[in-house]
Amino acid sequence: MTRAEKRARWLVLWYPRAWRERYGDEFSELLLADMAERPRSWSRAFDVARSGAAARVGLGGAVHAGARLAVFVCSGSAFVLFGTAIWAQLAIGWQWSRPATPATSAAIIAMSCLLAGFVALAALGAAPVLWTIATRFATRRGRALARPFAVFLVGAVVAVLGARHFAAGWPGTGGHPWAHQHLLPGRLAALAWAETLSVTSYWAHPGALLGFPPDELLWMAASPVALVAAVAGGARTLGRLELSPRVLRFELVLARLACWAMVVFVAAACCWIAAGGTGPRNLFHVGAIDVVAVVAMVATLLVARQAGADARATIAP
Amino acid sequence: MAKREIAGPATLILSSLAEGAKHGWALTKDVEEFAGVRLAPGTLYEALNRLEGLGLIEALPNDDRRRPYRLTAAGAAALREHLARERQVVDVGLSRLAAKWGAA
Repeated sequence: MTRAEKRARWLVLWYPRAWRERYGDEFSELLLADMAERPRSWSRAFDVARSGAAARVGLGGAVHAGARLAVFVCSGSAFVLFGTAIWAQLAIGWQWSRPATPATSAAIIAMSCLLAGFVALAALGAAPVLWTIATRFATRRGRALARPFAVFLVGAVVAVLGARHFAAGWPGTGGHPWAHQHLLPGRLAALAWAETLSVTSYWAHPGALLGFPPDELLWMAASPVALVAAVAGGARTLGRLELSPRVLRFELVLARLACWAMVVFVAAACCWIAAGGTGPRNLFHVGAIDVVAVVAMVATLLVARQAGADARATIAP
Repeated sequence: MAKREIAGPATLILSSLAEGAKHGWALTKDVEEFAGVRLAPGTLYEALNRLEGLGLIEALPNDDRRRPYRLTAAGAAALREHLARERQVVDVGLSRLAAKWGAA
Protein backbone atom coordinates (compact mmCIF):
# COMPACT_ATOMS: atom_id res chain seq x y z
CA MET A 1 0.00 0.00 0.00
CA THR A 2 1.42 3.39 -0.99
CA ARG A 3 1.64 6.34 1.36
CA ALA A 4 -1.16 8.14 -0.49
CA GLU A 5 -3.38 5.07 -0.22
CA LYS A 6 -2.76 4.95 3.53
CA ARG A 7 -3.68 8.63 3.88
CA ALA A 8 -6.83 8.14 1.80
CA ARG A 9 -7.78 5.19 3.98
CA TRP A 10 -7.39 7.29 7.13
CA LEU A 11 -9.41 10.14 5.68
CA VAL A 12 -12.30 7.84 4.75
CA LEU A 13 -12.51 6.82 8.43
CA TRP A 14 -14.12 10.21 9.16
CA TYR A 15 -17.32 8.77 7.67
CA PRO A 16 -19.70 6.30 9.33
CA ARG A 17 -19.53 2.62 8.40
CA ALA A 18 -22.72 2.63 6.29
CA TRP A 19 -21.42 5.58 4.27
CA ARG A 20 -18.04 3.86 3.76
CA GLU A 21 -19.70 0.68 2.58
CA ARG A 22 -21.64 2.61 -0.03
CA TYR A 23 -19.12 5.26 -1.13
CA GLY A 24 -15.78 4.16 0.37
CA ASP A 25 -14.09 2.70 -2.75
CA GLU A 26 -15.07 5.44 -5.19
CA PHE A 27 -14.33 8.16 -2.62
CA SER A 28 -10.85 6.71 -2.01
CA GLU A 29 -10.23 6.77 -5.77
CA LEU A 30 -11.24 10.42 -5.89
CA LEU A 31 -8.96 11.24 -2.95
CA LEU A 32 -6.03 9.47 -4.63
CA ALA A 33 -6.58 11.42 -7.86
CA ASP A 34 -6.80 14.65 -5.87
CA MET A 35 -3.65 13.80 -3.89
CA ALA A 36 -1.76 13.10 -7.13
CA GLU A 37 -2.50 16.67 -8.19
CA ARG A 38 -2.25 18.31 -4.75
CA PRO A 39 -0.03 16.10 -2.55
CA ARG A 40 -0.55 18.20 0.58
CA SER A 41 -3.73 20.12 1.24
CA TRP A 42 -5.06 21.24 4.62
CA SER A 43 -8.26 22.44 3.00
CA ARG A 44 -8.92 18.94 1.60
CA ALA A 45 -8.29 17.35 5.01
CA PHE A 46 -10.60 19.88 6.67
CA ASP A 47 -13.29 19.41 4.03
CA VAL A 48 -13.25 15.63 4.45
CA ALA A 49 -13.31 15.93 8.26
CA ARG A 50 -16.21 18.38 8.12
CA SER A 51 -18.35 16.38 5.71
CA GLY A 52 -17.48 13.10 7.50
CA ALA A 53 -18.57 14.58 10.84
CA ALA A 54 -21.75 15.89 9.19
CA ALA A 55 -22.48 12.42 7.82
CA ARG A 56 -21.95 10.95 11.29
CA VAL A 57 -24.53 13.24 12.89
CA GLY A 58 -27.00 12.64 10.05
CA LEU A 59 -26.49 15.82 8.07
CA GLY A 60 -25.54 16.15 4.46
CA GLY A 61 -27.17 13.01 3.12
CA ALA A 62 -30.54 12.03 1.74
CA VAL A 63 -33.26 14.21 3.21
CA HIS A 64 -35.89 13.04 5.68
CA ALA A 65 -37.63 15.69 7.78
CA GLY A 66 -38.08 13.46 10.86
CA ALA A 67 -34.39 12.54 10.86
CA ARG A 68 -33.43 16.20 10.51
CA LEU A 69 -35.65 17.11 13.44
CA ALA A 70 -34.00 14.34 15.43
CA VAL A 71 -30.59 15.90 14.70
CA PHE A 72 -32.01 19.25 15.78
CA VAL A 73 -33.22 17.73 19.06
CA CYS A 74 -29.79 16.18 19.76
CA SER A 75 -27.81 19.33 19.04
CA GLY A 76 -30.37 21.56 20.79
CA SER A 77 -30.25 19.34 23.89
CA ALA A 78 -26.45 19.52 23.95
CA PHE A 79 -26.70 23.30 23.70
CA VAL A 80 -29.14 23.47 26.61
CA LEU A 81 -26.96 21.15 28.70
CA PHE A 82 -23.90 23.39 28.33
CA GLY A 83 -26.01 26.53 28.72
CA THR A 84 -27.60 25.17 31.89
CA ALA A 85 -24.17 24.28 33.30
CA ILE A 86 -22.98 27.87 32.85
CA TRP A 87 -26.20 29.35 34.15
CA ALA A 88 -26.30 27.05 37.21
CA GLN A 89 -22.85 28.28 38.21
CA LEU A 90 -23.90 31.92 37.80
CA ALA A 91 -27.14 31.33 39.69
CA ILE A 92 -25.15 30.07 42.67
CA GLY A 93 -23.03 33.22 42.58
CA TRP A 94 -26.12 35.43 42.39
CA GLN A 95 -27.66 33.58 45.32
CA TRP A 96 -24.81 34.89 47.49
CA SER A 97 -24.15 38.30 46.01
CA ARG A 98 -25.22 40.57 43.15
CA PRO A 99 -22.69 40.71 40.27
CA ALA A 100 -20.26 43.61 40.23
CA THR A 101 -21.11 44.77 36.69
CA PRO A 102 -24.51 45.58 35.13
CA ALA A 103 -23.46 43.64 32.03
CA THR A 104 -23.08 40.43 34.05
CA SER A 105 -26.42 41.04 35.78
CA ALA A 106 -28.13 41.60 32.42
CA ALA A 107 -26.45 38.49 30.97
CA ILE A 108 -27.60 36.29 33.86
CA ILE A 109 -31.16 37.62 33.72
CA ALA A 110 -31.24 37.11 29.93
CA MET A 111 -29.93 33.55 30.30
CA SER A 112 -32.55 32.81 32.98
CA CYS A 113 -35.37 34.04 30.73
CA LEU A 114 -34.00 32.18 27.71
CA LEU A 115 -33.69 28.89 29.61
CA ALA A 116 -37.32 29.28 30.66
CA GLY A 117 -38.06 29.95 26.98
CA PHE A 118 -36.27 26.74 25.95
CA VAL A 119 -38.37 24.77 28.43
CA ALA A 120 -41.55 26.34 27.04
CA LEU A 121 -40.53 25.63 23.44
CA ALA A 122 -39.61 22.04 24.31
CA ALA A 123 -42.98 21.52 26.00
CA LEU A 124 -44.84 23.02 23.03
CA GLY A 125 -42.84 20.89 20.60
CA ALA A 126 -43.20 17.70 22.63
CA ALA A 127 -47.00 17.93 22.97
CA PRO A 128 -47.98 17.02 19.35
CA VAL A 129 -45.15 14.47 19.15
CA LEU A 130 -46.30 12.72 22.33
CA TRP A 131 -49.87 12.77 21.02
CA THR A 132 -48.72 11.13 17.77
CA ILE A 133 -46.78 8.51 19.74
CA ALA A 134 -49.82 7.83 21.95
CA THR A 135 -52.08 7.36 18.92
CA ARG A 136 -49.54 5.03 17.32
CA PHE A 137 -49.48 2.85 20.44
CA ALA A 138 -53.28 3.05 20.85
CA THR A 139 -53.79 1.79 17.29
CA ARG A 140 -51.09 -0.89 17.73
CA ARG A 141 -48.77 0.69 15.17
CA GLY A 142 -46.11 1.65 17.68
CA ARG A 143 -43.98 -1.49 17.68
CA ALA A 144 -40.99 0.21 16.02
CA LEU A 145 -41.19 3.02 18.58
CA ALA A 146 -41.30 0.80 21.67
CA ARG A 147 -37.57 0.31 22.19
CA PRO A 148 -36.31 3.87 21.55
CA PHE A 149 -39.20 5.30 23.58
CA ALA A 150 -38.35 2.94 26.46
CA VAL A 151 -34.70 4.10 26.31
CA PHE A 152 -35.91 7.70 26.40
CA LEU A 153 -38.12 7.02 29.44
CA VAL A 154 -35.42 5.16 31.40
CA GLY A 155 -32.84 7.89 30.66
CA ALA A 156 -35.26 10.67 31.60
CA VAL A 157 -36.36 8.99 34.84
CA VAL A 158 -32.76 8.35 35.96
CA ALA A 159 -31.76 11.93 35.06
CA VAL A 160 -34.67 13.45 37.00
CA LEU A 161 -34.47 11.20 40.08
CA GLY A 162 -30.69 11.54 40.29
CA ALA A 163 -30.85 15.33 40.02
CA ARG A 164 -33.55 15.45 42.72
CA HIS A 165 -31.35 13.40 45.05
CA PHE A 166 -28.11 15.30 44.49
CA ALA A 167 -29.77 18.73 44.49
CA ALA A 168 -29.64 18.50 48.30
CA GLY A 169 -25.91 19.32 48.11
CA TRP A 170 -26.46 22.57 46.21
CA PRO A 171 -23.86 25.16 47.28
CA GLY A 172 -26.32 28.02 46.91
CA THR A 173 -28.02 27.30 50.24
CA GLY A 174 -26.02 27.48 53.45
CA GLY A 175 -28.81 29.01 55.48
CA HIS A 176 -29.93 31.31 52.69
CA PRO A 177 -32.66 29.46 50.82
CA TRP A 178 -33.90 32.73 49.29
CA ALA A 179 -30.75 34.70 49.81
CA HIS A 180 -30.24 38.22 48.57
CA GLN A 181 -31.66 38.90 45.16
CA HIS A 182 -34.47 36.38 44.66
CA LEU A 183 -33.30 35.64 41.13
CA LEU A 184 -35.25 32.40 40.97
CA PRO A 185 -36.56 29.60 43.19
CA GLY A 186 -33.52 27.94 44.73
CA ARG A 187 -34.92 24.45 44.11
CA LEU A 188 -34.88 25.03 40.35
CA ALA A 189 -31.26 26.22 40.39
CA ALA A 190 -30.32 23.27 42.58
CA LEU A 191 -31.84 20.79 40.12
CA ALA A 192 -30.06 22.47 37.21
CA TRP A 193 -26.77 22.36 39.12
CA ALA A 194 -27.16 18.68 40.02
CA GLU A 195 -28.11 17.75 36.45
CA THR A 196 -25.00 19.39 35.03
CA LEU A 197 -22.45 18.36 37.67
CA SER A 198 -20.58 16.42 34.98
CA VAL A 199 -19.76 19.62 33.04
CA THR A 200 -16.75 20.55 35.11
CA SER A 201 -13.04 21.17 34.75
CA TYR A 202 -12.42 18.76 37.64
CA TRP A 203 -12.10 16.02 35.00
CA ALA A 204 -8.73 17.57 34.16
CA HIS A 205 -7.65 17.36 37.82
CA PRO A 206 -8.02 13.72 38.88
CA GLY A 207 -6.39 14.41 42.25
CA ALA A 208 -9.07 16.91 43.24
CA LEU A 209 -11.75 14.69 41.74
CA LEU A 210 -10.84 11.86 44.10
CA GLY A 211 -11.69 14.11 47.03
CA PHE A 212 -15.38 14.06 46.03
CA PRO A 213 -17.81 11.72 47.84
CA PRO A 214 -18.01 8.40 45.92
CA ASP A 215 -21.76 8.67 45.27
CA GLU A 216 -21.32 12.16 43.80
CA LEU A 217 -18.49 10.91 41.58
CA LEU A 218 -20.71 8.07 40.43
CA TRP A 219 -23.46 10.53 39.59
CA MET A 220 -21.04 12.73 37.65
CA ALA A 221 -20.17 9.72 35.51
CA ALA A 222 -23.71 8.31 35.28
CA SER A 223 -25.70 11.48 34.61
CA PRO A 224 -24.23 12.09 31.10
CA VAL A 225 -25.08 8.47 30.22
CA ALA A 226 -28.67 8.98 31.41
CA LEU A 227 -28.98 12.26 29.50
CA VAL A 228 -27.51 10.77 26.33
CA ALA A 229 -29.91 7.81 26.63
CA ALA A 230 -32.88 10.17 27.07
CA VAL A 231 -31.91 12.40 24.14
CA ALA A 232 -30.85 9.55 21.83
CA GLY A 233 -34.00 7.57 22.63
CA GLY A 234 -36.17 10.61 22.04
CA ALA A 235 -34.38 11.47 18.82
CA ARG A 236 -34.58 7.90 17.53
CA THR A 237 -38.30 7.83 18.33
CA LEU A 238 -38.77 11.12 16.50
CA GLY A 239 -36.80 9.82 13.51
CA ARG A 240 -39.13 6.84 13.21
CA LEU A 241 -42.33 8.86 13.49
CA GLU A 242 -44.24 9.99 10.46
CA LEU A 243 -45.39 13.41 11.56
CA SER A 244 -48.05 15.14 9.50
CA PRO A 245 -46.91 18.11 7.36
CA ARG A 246 -48.90 20.40 9.65
CA VAL A 247 -47.11 19.16 12.78
CA LEU A 248 -43.77 19.31 10.97
CA ARG A 249 -44.35 22.93 10.02
CA PHE A 250 -45.27 23.73 13.64
CA GLU A 251 -42.12 22.00 14.89
CA LEU A 252 -39.99 23.92 12.41
CA VAL A 253 -41.41 27.25 13.54
CA LEU A 254 -40.43 26.31 17.10
CA ALA A 255 -37.01 25.20 15.87
CA ARG A 256 -36.45 28.54 14.21
CA LEU A 257 -37.45 30.39 17.39
CA ALA A 258 -35.13 28.14 19.39
CA CYS A 259 -32.23 28.96 17.06
CA TRP A 260 -32.75 32.68 17.59
CA ALA A 261 -32.95 32.14 21.34
CA MET A 262 -29.69 30.17 21.17
CA VAL A 263 -27.98 33.05 19.37
CA VAL A 264 -29.09 35.48 22.10
CA PHE A 265 -28.03 33.01 24.81
CA VAL A 266 -24.53 32.74 23.32
CA ALA A 267 -24.37 36.54 23.10
CA ALA A 268 -25.34 36.80 26.78
CA ALA A 269 -22.72 34.22 27.77
CA CYS A 270 -20.08 36.12 25.78
CA CYS A 271 -21.21 39.33 27.47
CA TRP A 272 -20.53 37.76 30.88
CA ILE A 273 -17.16 36.39 29.75
CA ALA A 274 -16.14 39.77 28.32
CA ALA A 275 -17.39 41.96 31.14
CA GLY A 276 -18.00 39.72 34.12
CA GLY A 277 -14.60 39.40 35.68
CA THR A 278 -14.50 37.55 38.94
CA GLY A 279 -17.11 39.63 40.79
CA PRO A 280 -17.50 39.73 44.55
CA ARG A 281 -15.81 36.86 46.39
CA ASN A 282 -14.80 35.34 43.06
CA LEU A 283 -18.41 34.20 42.54
CA PHE A 284 -18.60 34.99 38.83
CA HIS A 285 -15.18 33.74 37.83
CA VAL A 286 -14.80 32.75 34.16
CA GLY A 287 -12.97 29.42 33.85
CA ALA A 288 -11.55 27.51 30.92
CA ILE A 289 -14.53 25.13 31.13
CA ASP A 290 -16.88 28.08 30.50
CA VAL A 291 -15.03 29.06 27.34
CA VAL A 292 -15.08 25.42 26.20
CA ALA A 293 -18.82 25.28 26.94
CA VAL A 294 -19.48 28.43 24.89
CA VAL A 295 -17.46 27.02 21.96
CA ALA A 296 -19.46 23.78 22.21
CA MET A 297 -22.68 25.80 22.28
CA VAL A 298 -21.71 27.65 19.09
CA ALA A 299 -20.91 24.33 17.39
CA THR A 300 -24.22 22.76 18.44
CA LEU A 301 -26.06 25.91 17.39
CA LEU A 302 -24.57 25.66 13.89
CA VAL A 303 -25.54 21.99 13.62
CA ALA A 304 -29.06 22.72 14.88
CA ARG A 305 -29.47 25.60 12.45
CA GLN A 306 -28.36 23.45 9.51
CA ALA A 307 -30.65 20.59 10.56
CA GLY A 308 -33.60 22.99 10.79
CA ALA A 309 -32.83 24.47 7.36
CA ASP A 310 -32.52 20.99 5.83
CA ALA A 311 -35.81 19.89 7.37
CA ARG A 312 -37.53 23.03 6.05
CA ALA A 313 -36.17 22.33 2.56
CA THR A 314 -37.85 18.91 2.55
CA ILE A 315 -41.33 20.25 3.20
CA ALA A 316 -41.07 23.47 1.19
CA PRO A 317 -44.03 23.76 -1.23
CA MET B 1 -39.09 20.37 -3.49
CA ALA B 2 -35.77 20.73 -5.26
CA LYS B 3 -35.73 24.53 -5.18
CA ARG B 4 -33.21 24.80 -2.36
CA GLU B 5 -31.56 21.46 -2.89
CA ILE B 6 -29.88 22.21 -6.19
CA ALA B 7 -28.27 25.49 -5.24
CA GLY B 8 -24.46 25.72 -4.91
CA PRO B 9 -22.37 22.61 -5.69
CA ALA B 10 -25.49 20.71 -6.76
CA THR B 11 -26.10 23.08 -9.69
CA LEU B 12 -22.53 22.58 -10.86
CA ILE B 13 -22.79 18.80 -10.57
CA LEU B 14 -26.13 18.60 -12.38
CA SER B 15 -24.85 20.92 -15.10
CA SER B 16 -21.81 18.70 -15.58
CA LEU B 17 -23.90 15.53 -15.68
CA ALA B 18 -26.26 17.13 -18.23
CA GLU B 19 -23.54 16.31 -20.76
CA GLY B 20 -23.35 12.62 -19.80
CA ALA B 21 -22.43 10.23 -16.99
CA LYS B 22 -19.22 10.98 -15.04
CA HIS B 23 -17.40 9.65 -11.99
CA GLY B 24 -16.11 11.80 -9.13
CA TRP B 25 -12.76 12.87 -10.56
CA ALA B 26 -14.18 13.56 -14.05
CA LEU B 27 -16.87 15.68 -12.38
CA THR B 28 -14.27 17.61 -10.40
CA LYS B 29 -12.18 18.38 -13.49
CA ASP B 30 -15.19 19.25 -15.66
CA VAL B 31 -16.63 21.66 -13.05
CA GLU B 32 -13.20 23.23 -12.58
CA GLU B 33 -12.95 23.76 -16.34
CA PHE B 34 -16.37 25.27 -17.04
CA ALA B 35 -16.99 27.11 -13.74
CA GLY B 36 -13.49 27.78 -12.40
CA VAL B 37 -14.48 26.15 -9.10
CA ARG B 38 -12.63 23.22 -7.54
CA LEU B 39 -15.13 21.07 -5.65
CA ALA B 40 -13.40 19.52 -2.63
CA PRO B 41 -13.88 15.73 -2.34
CA GLY B 42 -16.01 15.87 0.84
CA THR B 43 -18.23 18.61 -0.56
CA LEU B 44 -18.64 16.74 -3.84
CA TYR B 45 -19.72 13.49 -2.22
CA GLU B 46 -21.96 15.29 0.26
CA ALA B 47 -23.81 16.78 -2.71
CA LEU B 48 -23.82 13.49 -4.67
CA ASN B 49 -25.27 11.70 -1.66
CA ARG B 50 -27.98 14.32 -1.30
CA LEU B 51 -28.84 14.45 -5.00
CA GLU B 52 -29.02 10.67 -5.15
CA GLY B 53 -31.36 10.67 -2.14
CA LEU B 54 -33.58 13.19 -3.91
CA GLY B 55 -33.65 11.05 -7.06
CA LEU B 56 -32.06 13.77 -9.18
CA ILE B 57 -29.08 11.60 -10.13
CA GLU B 58 -28.47 7.85 -10.14
CA ALA B 59 -25.38 5.68 -9.76
CA LEU B 60 -24.34 3.38 -12.60
CA PRO B 61 -22.48 0.07 -12.14
CA ASN B 62 -18.87 0.38 -10.97
CA ASP B 63 -16.20 1.20 -13.52
CA ASP B 64 -13.27 -0.48 -11.72
CA ARG B 65 -13.33 1.22 -8.27
CA ARG B 66 -14.86 4.38 -9.71
CA ARG B 67 -18.62 4.75 -9.97
CA PRO B 68 -20.18 6.98 -12.61
CA TYR B 69 -23.34 8.99 -11.97
CA ARG B 70 -25.91 10.20 -14.44
CA LEU B 71 -28.75 12.69 -14.44
CA THR B 72 -32.30 11.33 -14.05
CA ALA B 73 -35.35 12.77 -15.79
CA ALA B 74 -36.35 14.45 -12.50
CA GLY B 75 -32.84 15.89 -12.21
CA ALA B 76 -32.98 17.29 -15.74
CA ALA B 77 -36.36 18.93 -15.01
CA ALA B 78 -35.12 20.39 -11.70
CA LEU B 79 -31.95 21.73 -13.33
CA ARG B 80 -33.90 23.26 -16.21
CA GLU B 81 -36.28 24.98 -13.78
CA HIS B 82 -33.46 26.22 -11.58
CA LEU B 83 -31.37 27.58 -14.47
CA ALA B 84 -34.43 29.32 -15.95
CA ARG B 85 -34.90 31.16 -12.64
CA GLU B 86 -31.22 32.00 -12.51
CA ARG B 87 -31.33 33.27 -16.11
CA GLN B 88 -34.23 35.54 -15.19
CA VAL B 89 -32.13 37.05 -12.39
CA VAL B 90 -29.12 37.42 -14.71
CA ASP B 91 -31.24 39.08 -17.41
CA VAL B 92 -32.79 41.56 -14.98
CA GLY B 93 -29.42 42.38 -13.43
CA LEU B 94 -27.71 42.91 -16.79
CA SER B 95 -30.52 45.05 -18.21
CA ARG B 96 -30.55 47.26 -15.08
CA LEU B 97 -26.79 47.58 -15.18
CA ALA B 98 -26.93 48.59 -18.83
CA ALA B 99 -29.70 51.13 -18.19
CA LYS B 100 -27.99 52.81 -15.23
CA TRP B 101 -24.28 52.26 -15.88
CA GLY B 102 -24.12 51.77 -19.63
CA ALA B 103 -23.12 48.72 -21.64
CA ALA B 104 -19.82 47.02 -20.74
